[in-house]
Amino acid sequence: MKRFRGLTRRGVLKGAAAGAAATLAAPAFLRETMAQATGPIKIGIPCALTGTFAAVGQVTKRGAEFFAKERNAKGGILGRPIELLIEDTQGNPANCVRKAQEMVERHNCRLITGVTVSSEALALVPKLEEWNTIFMSSINGDGRLTAASFVPNFFRANTSGPMGARAISLFLRESKMQKFFALGMDYAWGHNSVQVFETELKNASKEFIGKVFSPSGTKDFSTYITKIRQSGADGVYLVLAADDNNAFLSQAHQYRLAERMTMLAEQLELVSVKAVGEAAIGLTASSRYPFTLENPANAAFVAAFQKEHGEVPDQFDGEAYHGLAVLAQGIEKAKSIEAEPLRKAMEGMVHDGIKGKVTMRACDHQGEQRGYVVQVAKTDKLPHPTLNILKTYGADQITPPCNKMTYDN
Amino acid sequence: MDTLAFILTQCVNAFSQAALLFFLGCGLTLIFGIMRIVNFAHGTIYMAGAYLGYTSVRWLGGFVAALMVAPIVVGVLGVLFELFILRRLYGRDGNAFLMVTFGLALVLGDAVQVVWGAPPLQVPPPAALAGIAFFLDEPFPVYRLFLIGFGTVMAIGMWQFLERTRLGLLIRATSQNPDMVHALGTDVRVVRSGVFGIGCGLAALGGVLAAPLVTASLGMSLAAVVDAFVIVIIGGMGSFLGSLIGALIVAFVQVFGNYYLPEAALAFMYLVMLTVLVVRPGGLLGKEE
Repeated sequence: MKRFRGLTRRGVLKGAAAGAAATLAAPAFLRETMAQATGPIKIGIPCALTGTFAAVGQVTKRGAEFFAKERNAKGGILGRPIELLIEDTQGNPANCVRKAQEMVERHNCRLITGVTVSSEALALVPKLEEWNTIFMSSINGDGRLTAASFVPNFFRANTSGPMGARAISLFLRESKMQKFFALGMDYAWGHNSVQVFETELKNASKEFIGKVFSPSGTKDFSTYITKIRQSGADGVYLVLAADDNNAFLSQAHQYRLAERMTMLAEQLELVSVKAVGEAAIGLTASSRYPFTLENPANAAFVAAFQKEHGEVPDQFDGEAYHGLAVLAQGIEKAKSIEAEPLRKAMEGMVHDGIKGKVTMRACDHQGEQRGYVVQVAKTDKLPHPTLNILKTYGADQITPPCNKMTYDN
Repeated sequence: MDTLAFILTQCVNAFSQAALLFFLGCGLTLIFGIMRIVNFAHGTIYMAGAYLGYTSVRWLGGFVAALMVAPIVVGVLGVLFELFILRRLYGRDGNAFLMVTFGLALVLGDAVQVVWGAPPLQVPPPAALAGIAFFLDEPFPVYRLFLIGFGTVMAIGMWQFLERTRLGLLIRATSQNPDMVHALGTDVRVVRSGVFGIGCGLAALGGVLAAPLVTASLGMSLAAVVDAFVIVIIGGMGSFLGSLIGALIVAFVQVFGNYYLPEAALAFMYLVMLTVLVVRPGGLLGKEE
């Protein structure tokens, strides 16, 4: 028998057979996991790159890509590069579930973040256990995600809708305004936030005189503006995003609504401020991430971001970046991207980043963090209006009790 | 707010909205009437108009310039699209046109995103129209009044063009019997190219006019194409007057519906459409085919 580099033919065959048997015996997911323990860390971002929420999704993508680029330049996470899988969902829950499922099943991606719309997030969470996947929310506001609809594989690094509503309502407690009207987008987030605002006003012994919801994608807000004017409120609370928000602000400015009452918003994106310009001046809003936050990590982030993109980061650039930073810290702490160790590592973890100290509390996986009330103001330093931070509230004041989306006092 | 002021306010809201919808519906119905093409790209063309309006305001420094430049540029592009693409498909069944205009919507939508980027862009109304008029202590934005005036002038202009000019006569004749028009010595292909261009130009004009109200954004195409189809279905495919009536009905239903029954306002619009379809399947002024 011919010798073949010190191995007998029989020996080679035996080894090959054993190897094949082991590979066949190992369940498919284990094989995938073995491959995944060394390659790039895949993070799925099924977000709305087109449609009504395109502006939000595009900013999310930009913030996430900025994080990945910066982090990969420093050696990635656990020495492995980050690979983002970004897919367009058009803001549609069914699309979102389909795209996420593709990421999980076809690309063996077990980490999801950057989902745009709350209704998409609510559609995803029931699948997380089956997919053995961690979903780190960085955008989704709906209070139910950390309350009635909470699942263990869900984490929320961002400020939620109720937390935004809470910050603005704490701000209103100190103001002279008495009567309020609310306008929200007619889907999960809008209804949820208006409801929280209504409860908050009652607690503050202020008067809530009415509400109206506009279908997502509304172009003409004239009737809503007529209704708001008729209400005789001192302030109108707005839960609007993306195109709808821009359309409302442009038209409200043409009707001089701000001369009649104060306009308050649950959240504010710079992209809206840029799109409507002067029509946004004076708008008072709760901001989840104002680029004007003063801390060393944020100063470095804003400077690097400006260098890369020639403009300051928007709210969801910051939130997408922050969500990924929390996730990366969790992975380093767990030394794994498997759902179970990662979940344990992130529960109670303190992250100190661009939004200051954020604690991912164990009970409902909400990131405890500060709330900010900002006002849109003119500035000479930027080509668009800036966000002045009027008031900062502590994490203990704006984070709701565990598994709740309303506040006790 | 007293009753008179309320009715006036709501009418201004509705008529200004109708003016915008009219440009959308009118373009769509003209194209259908002459070419029997359901133009799925209509909303995207409307959006492209808004973006071109933004650039015209920036470069040429005026809203009036935008009102002229955007429709002309888009109109010329429309003519080229008809010449080089649609013309190859005549004689095929309707599905070919559905596919190709749907494809145009996708390509044009992405092209707009590549050229102008994803963030929405501000197109402020011109300074002369940015003011506000008070009547009965109620505010009326001058821009909305301008929309009503401009819409009325354009509607009368279009009507006179179709009814009184030789070109209008040719367009109407072509929509009724293209073979006969051809036999009488008119090149029907030229009429088709021209009408497709005019239809696209009208949509672009609507886009420029809408931009100060909603900003120029990628999301504006979807709502626009739905509205345009509802108008044309209510008014009757191919009927100019029908598109005017359809625009008025949709605007009034939206404005008053939003006020009294905001939860059902969207459903109302479709309910009206459904009723029309049941009672007059061809639309109010359309012909059943």
